Amino acid sequence: MALQRPRLRAMTSDLRNRLLLLLVLPLCVLALLGVWMDYRSADEAAARHDQRLLRLLPALADSVLAPGADEGDLPVWLLAPPVEDFLRHNPGFTGFSVRDVSGRLLLGDDWVHGAVPATQEPEFHSVEVGGVTYRVAVQRGRTGAGEMVVALADGSDPRQQWAQHLLLRVLLPNLVLVAAAALAIHWAVGRAFKPLVDLAAAVERRSPRDLSAIDEAASPAEVRPLVHSLNRLFSLVNAQAESQRRFVADAAHQLRTPLAGLQAQVEAWALLARSGVKTVENSQNSIQKQPQRQDGKAAAAITLGASEIEKLRDATRRTSQLAHQLLALSRADARSLDAQAMQRVDIKDLCENLLEMYLDAATGKGIDLGLDAQPVHVSGHGWLLRELLSNLVDNAIKYTPAGGSVTIRCGARPGPQGVASAFLQVEDDGPGVPPVERARVLQRFYRVPGTEGEGTGLGLPIADEIARAHGATLLLDTGASGRGLRVTLVFSA
Amino acid sequence: MRLLLVEDDIMVASGIKLGLTDAGYAVDWVGSGERAEEVLQHETFDVAVVDIGLPGMDGLELTRRLRRPEVASHDMPVLILTARDALHDRVQGLDLGADDYMVKPFELPELLARLRALLRRSQAATTAVLTFGPLELDTANRRVGIRREGDATLLPIELGPREWTVLEYLLIHAPKPASKDKLLQALTGWDKEITPNAVEVYVSRLRGKLEPHGVGLRSIRGFGYRLELQQA
Repeated sequence: MALQRPRLRAMTSDLRNRLLLLLVLPLCVLALLGVWMDYRSADEAAARHDQRLLRLLPALADSVLAPGADEGDLPVWLLAPPVEDFLRHNPGFTGFSVRDVSGRLLLGDDWVHGAVPATQEPEFHSVEVGGVTYRVAVQRGRTGAGEMVVALADGSDPRQQWAQHLLLRVLLPNLVLVAAAALAIHWAVGRAFKPLVDLAAAVERRSPRDLSAIDEAASPAEVRPLVHSLNRLFSLVNAQAESQRRFVADAAHQLRTPLAGLQAQVEAWALLARSGVKTVENSQNSIQKQPQRQDGKAAAAITLGASEIEKLRDATRRTSQLAHQLLALSRADARSLDAQAMQRVDIKDLCENLLEMYLDAATGKGIDLGLDAQPVHVSGHGWLLRELLSNLVDNAIKYTPAGGSVTIRCGARPGPQGVASAFLQVEDDGPGVPPVERARVLQRFYRVPGTEGEGTGLGLPIADEIARAHGATLLLDTGASGRGLRVTLVFSA
Repeated sequence: MRLLLVEDDIMVASGIKLGLTDAGYAVDWVGSGERAEEVLQHETFDVAVVDIGLPGMDGLELTRRLRRPEVASHDMPVLILTARDALHDRVQGLDLGADDYMVKPFELPELLARLRALLRRSQAATTAVLTFGPLELDTANRRVGIRREGDATLLPIELGPREWTVLEYLLIHAPKPASKDKLLQALTGWDKEITPNAVEVYVSRLRGKLEPHGVGLRSIRGFGYRLELQQA
């Protein structure tokens, strides 16, 4: 049971992860594609930009009209209208420079520079000044003042802006989108699986023996086919378990009638044999199975000794007990119990009752049977609890040697959360059960190796079954004196 | 003691009859409820053992009918035998007027013990004299004493009123044990505030008076006391 919930969680989270992977991966690819396309369009725009700068470079070269009057004087220049236009149009983001071939600045802005090109071909590069990235076009060309190097810088270059705003404008929205999608998937999976999770929880909450049908109409439409299949399975398992249970009950019940006859007969012989031993000084110590007749048919009679008859009686008693216990076991089944309402059971009264019932058996064996009972009530099935206690007391008397003592206890003790819970206990000072055997003695028909006495191997399993039917726990440990067995039934508070 | 046994299973019936006859009962055995009703019209019994699962009229119906006032033995104790041990049957049996029940299969000594207890209770209700072994308690004449076998005279024992109450209670319930709580309740008619120790005092006094005559009062640890015959 405890394993199922994590398993279900694992299932949904597994599904969640798979959906996340399957949906987020394409989303990421799409985002990257978007980024690439954006880059492409920015690139095209940049190329157009470069073209424009390229077209302007000759106009800039033409602006230098003539060399200066003296060596060292500035050349005579007048900005060509397209260049002036360009500079005026984007003030602060544009610049130009005119240098001689040695790289000395003649005109324009000092920061617009670049290596002096070796050829006449225009060259482009980017330079960052004052936080702004400029696209700089440099060309070596003829001017009115001889060969000069002209350069134009443009800070409104879309490629540079694109690089700057790449994170903010393109990647971030995409990332936000992917994250949102992931959240949406997470939420949607949880939401979509809620009916399934609810169903699983409902199945889990049931007692392991509750195989009644789940209400199909109350289940969400998505899981209705599953509920239907589950119900079908439940009813099949139920029918099978029910028929098996009924078989055991019927068999045990049917066994009891012939056993009752057999036992009554043998019990009577045993009584007769014993009283015969006492009253008649019959050296044979025996009775005859068939009354001896006068007509010579006595030859058909067999003679049984008292001890043989008692062995026969004990075997019969044991078989009867087995039939009775099988019946009790099948009745303790929670499925047949669900129909019966729990009642308020006076545990102290029950203990006193059982003490009276077993007093003779205990006295006969020389066992001191005692009681330590505080008034306590529980909600349960009286006859089952009686069966449970009777099995425990019977066991204790059976396995405790003469001179030992058996104590029936009941009362309330503080539970783990401080709430008092009722308990029922039978303690003996017999041989006890070794710790390694304790779990096994609760298995049906298991008997501790080397055990003497006439047990059926069903007493403790029945007690355990009944305990479970009451939501109580059966604990086995060593008696207070360090010897014997102490069986405690603790009811949940 | 005349005992009517109503049981259709021959094995069970002959076993019970054998055992009960040996224990000193005069057993009349009939195999059906109808036959039992017939027999009860002419004869009286001290106690009846009735099986529930009879052919025709079942044991519960028979029990109900033999409780009718026109039946001569309508107040005799009835012990029902049943192979059905569902709680329902038990309650129903006792509601219909049965005094005790036993679930088949059962041990004969237990049946004998229960019959003894039933007879003792019915005897206590009808006669004034309660006996346990040699002990005799005459509630009508408020006399208690020891009667030896074959002895016509009663050897009287002197008891105080509270000792009497304790002994009477123990005798009515013998051979079942009596709890200290119940004895205490029986004694509260005498004293408003009586302590559990008082019960012990009266019991120990009774022991002193009864044990010389072979009647013991055994303590049942944590529960109470029980009258027992001591082995000589």
